[in-house]
Amino acid sequence: MLSSKDSPLGKQLSQYVCARIVRMDNVDVGLFDRDWNNTLYYFMLNADEQIYMRYGGRDAASADTYLNLGSLEVALNQGLELHRQYLKGELKKSERPKPLYPRDIPLLVERTLGRNQCVECHLIGDFQNLQREQEGTLDKLTHMFRSPDIKTLGIQLDVPKGLVVKEAHGAVQAAGMKPGDRIAALNGTPVWTFGDLQYYYDKVNRKADRIEITVDRAGTRVPLTVTLPLRWWLTDLRYRQSSVEPRTYFEDRALTEAEKRSHGLKADGFASEVKFVADFAKTMKSNELQTGDIIFGVDGVESDGIANTAELFIKLRKTPGDSVMLDILRNGQRMKSQLLTYRMSFRK
Amino acid sequence: MRIWKLQLGLLLFLTLVFGPIAGRLLAQDDEINWLGDYREAVRQAKATHKPIFLEFRCEA
Repeated sequence: MLSSKDSPLGKQLSQYVCARIVRMDNVDVGLFDRDWNNTLYYFMLNADEQIYMRYGGRDAASADTYLNLGSLEVALNQGLELHRQYLKGELKKSERPKPLYPRDIPLLVERTLGRNQCVECHLIGDFQNLQREQEGTLDKLTHMFRSPDIKTLGIQLDVPKGLVVKEAHGAVQAAGMKPGDRIAALNGTPVWTFGDLQYYYDKVNRKADRIEITVDRAGTRVPLTVTLPLRWWLTDLRYRQSSVEPRTYFEDRALTEAEKRSHGLKADGFASEVKFVADFAKTMKSNELQTGDIIFGVDGVESDGIANTAELFIKLRKTPGDSVMLDILRNGQRMKSQLLTYRMSFRK
Repeated sequence: MRIWKLQLGLLLFLTLVFGPIAGRLLAQDDEINWLGDYREAVRQAKATHKPIFLEFRCEA
């Protein structure tokens, strides 16, 4: 981003000390924590390493859904305003997060740093998760399904305007959010950008059933209690480099209760219909699923407190490399079929 | 005449060799200076009382 100092953006950037980091080897990733599957991310902070805000974040559809010069301009202005407040002593100091360097993640050292290879951003998140998997502390809902999508709550942002709401549907509409509101805080934490909102939304306990979103409505702050929908944390993992996610090489959709009943399956089960089987599965013979198959059991289990499809059950409850036995319905016939899951190969 | 030719040759040489560099320096002066060292950014922020705009991106 080489900007002329005379351009509007350049005039804003001239009021900052700009730095670009392309190697993570010596970066305090505890301080600059984020979703590591973003290839471009910004922080605005001060010389005391107090972070004012984040700029970046993405959704599954695209890496640049929320990256926009208009919203960057809004964020840069807000950063300058927060800095003025900080210099005047009007901004409360936040506690510095515990330092964490890539060298503190043993698996990252063993497989990347120790081999003098570049510590790419996504490797930090992935090796953190692999380390957790080895230590038995991996919480897939939190660590694998990072950055829940705000659209699941019904929030459509007017992206060039930062956190101004363009449309409010579903859960947030029911809570009273309206187009034109500006999202100002999440569970009491001020948010200035989509990057902030996504970061702090990701911090919400996956067992939570509600959150508080404060909006600025024509100068008045309005707190809204949002009831979280079932599986609000569920996100599309396809763009992620994740080696703790068992690769199944099929996609499915949850059956409705009526469909389950019509097939004589448990109403509270995770029965699902296969919608897509990847060529990889056919080539490697990792499964013999066919489009239209209904999977109603995995290793004899038919229901789960969280998963609503067989694919999600496998991703949550199995480890990459596991072989599982599926109970399937094909053309009305019940049968069993083996499926081998894979671990992402770039980590070998 | 010979001296004039030498001077012209030297001018042409200097223009060809240093012209692009001078152009680049002028262009750089007009552009935002992006530091590659985080500690240096903190040091400059302290000295100038400016905030820091920190970009993380992939090297490739």
